[in-house]
Amino acid sequence: METDVCIVGAGAAGGTLALELGRRGVRVVILESGPRHDFAQRREYVRRFLHRENPWRTPLPEMDRFSAGGTARHVLQRVRGIGGSTLHWEGYALRFHADDFRLQSLYGIGDDWPISYEDLESYYARAEQSLGVAGAMDDPWASPRSTPFPMPPFSFSHSDRVVSPVCRSLGIKLHCMPQARNSIAYGGRSACRACSTCFVCPTGAKASTDLTHFVDAEATGNVRVLAETTVLRLETDRSGQVGAAVYAGADRAEKRLAARVFVVAAGGVETARLLLLSTSSEFPNGLANRSGLVGRFFMSHPSLDVTGRASERLYPYRIGFSTAMSRQFAVDRPRASRGAFLLEFLNSAGPTPDQLATASGLSGEGLRKHVREEFGRRLGIRIYCEPLAQRTNGVTLNLRVRDYFGNPVPHVHYSTGRYERDALDDARAVVEKILAAVPLTDVRAGAPMFSAHQIGTHRMGSDPATSVVDAELKTHDVSNLYLVGSGCFVTASASPPTLTIVALAIRASEHIAARLRGAALPPTARTEAGRETLGSGRTATFETNSTSQLN
Amino acid sequence: MTTVARRSFLQKLLFVAGVTPVGLIGCRSGRSLETVPTSLDPQSKPGALSRADIDDLVALTGVVVEGRNLGHAEGDYVIEHVEHRARQSPEYVALYRTTVETLGQLAGRRISTLEVGERLEFVRRHRLDDPRLRGDEDPGQASGAVKEVRRRAVPDLIEGYFRSPAGWAVVGYTTFPGRCGDLTRYTRPER
Repeated sequence: METDVCIVGAGAAGGTLALELGRRGVRVVILESGPRHDFAQRREYVRRFLHRENPWRTPLPEMDRFSAGGTARHVLQRVRGIGGSTLHWEGYALRFHADDFRLQSLYGIGDDWPISYEDLESYYARAEQSLGVAGAMDDPWASPRSTPFPMPPFSFSHSDRVVSPVCRSLGIKLHCMPQARNSIAYGGRSACRACSTCFVCPTGAKASTDLTHFVDAEATGNVRVLAETTVLRLETDRSGQVGAAVYAGADRAEKRLAARVFVVAAGGVETARLLLLSTSSEFPNGLANRSGLVGRFFMSHPSLDVTGRASERLYPYRIGFSTAMSRQFAVDRPRASRGAFLLEFLNSAGPTPDQLATASGLSGEGLRKHVREEFGRRLGIRIYCEPLAQRTNGVTLNLRVRDYFGNPVPHVHYSTGRYERDALDDARAVVEKILAAVPLTDVRAGAPMFSAHQIGTHRMGSDPATSVVDAELKTHDVSNLYLVGSGCFVTASASPPTLTIVALAIRASEHIAARLRGAALPPTARTEAGRETLGSGRTATFETNSTSQLN
Repeated sequence: MTTVARRSFLQKLLFVAGVTPVGLIGCRSGRSLETVPTSLDPQSKPGALSRADIDDLVALTGVVVEGRNLGHAEGDYVIEHVEHRARQSPEYVALYRTTVETLGQLAGRRISTLEVGERLEFVRRHRLDDPRLRGDEDPGQASGAVKEVRRRAVPDLIEGYFRSPAGWAVVGYTTFPGRCGDLTRYTRPER
């Protein structure tokens, strides 16, 4: 089998690339390890979710195995399937702040991105359009926007309205949480119906790329999606370019897909793992890894929930997502020494009726009275903290543990330090001040958690010695290989990564399409059109394929 | 280094598909009859749950959570929970079987045939609704099976009941996670 572009992974990045390239007449084949989850199954998935099962679990055994080390042991939580982790994400769609791209210039810590917020702004706007983002221009700390949000925001919840004036009195401003979730009918999908099971959205109101991108991508006639096909390695040819993706299904029979361009968009852990698995005489330490940085600089957002008990019921669990947040502490912070942080005002904090009932040890009327009186009394605020990129954190291969195909599973080493601890301490002090002013009693902080985000493992940069991909997400070492996803982030911000992933994927798709048709590259490209400099100093020429012309 | 292996979904499917149905479950709700598989786990007891077994579990749940017989819809929620658990793991089939057998032995008959008052007294006498061992209780007094009922089965049935629409009704909610509704409701207090 042969195609113009082979994309590995069908999540936020893969779906975006498929749609953008397919619309430009580029032939695309997507290889996705997980299944195609039928939308008609979502009701059943909700039922299983309510029974505390994970309906998105990978069908093939041993495919979700991993190991973890370090002081902040990361737990891989991602979905294999058409739609990837957008199938289960929370849907929060925040842009990064302009400062997030210039940490070194502004604060003398970390590194700068090779692109700026201004470079990405128009792509953010397109990402918001494609996912469908509901939001308001009420965030005083947001960087400038060229367009309004595609949809009006979700209103503040009852509990937001309780805490908002208290925050105001303390000089803290709440604003709407931008989210890729329909506040009105949009993109052929219905408005949210407050089902409160956003981990599985039964209506399709929450954006997931199986609905927002793949349907349209396949309708172009240029995009073919192969589900339940796991890419085992990428093979290089004599020119040092990737010649084929070797993949297999449940029968473990190996097949090959040849393409002119390969894009790995499998998430920060699996993308790094695939490169490390793809060794050759030219790349003995892993494909595109002459820098030795593939897998390094792994980041995930440290998080903490702080809750307190209110004197009156706050009516939680009536909606599955948060509607208010504050970015006030993500900007204008002393970020040289401590991370930025966001505050998310939870609409569902505290125990559910079944949790209250089982913890009570009561029965009969006493049990009912206890549940009735205690339910809905807790108000919570979640802290999301910016982590710092550290070379010592990263993804390697665990040679002692194998997956279904016999490949080593990923080992994620992640430790956080003073930068993150001090940020969490600062954030906790702010939150405790808010909760005390409500006023709440019995204020408790949970254990620090880490988000599912996988950031930084194939970082972007201009220097091949200190980065894996360039500003267009093309690897420095292999001219027909692109790595797209949050692995290319240089800094993590305190904001969730998905909107930035989609914006970068749109940008990368323009570059790839332009290369394939031999056209002039977008202005920020640093390579000569049609001729790419290989990491070894040799050059290779991309041929224009008549089937890949723009429509 | 910690190795994390998640339980395979496929293994569960194989378990469900590879067994011989023995008993019936779900008759009460009038839905299509469904079988609860015999456990493949050699540690657990063979067999499955009968309609009478299910009636006992519903009867027990009723007196523990409400102090009365459950209505038809409330009973269906318990049945749905038991069915789900039984499909989820053979351990639950074994636990439920242990529960109905233990209750039968203690009562001398099926507890679903006891009057509500007798059933309440029965639960109280054997402290079936109390997962803790009290200070005045002889640790050897309660058999292992009774402890299983108190510590695992009764809390499980309470959890299943309060996770259902019946549990949300206790806190005054008519829509709740899994039952979609009005998008503006979350912005105001409940009436």
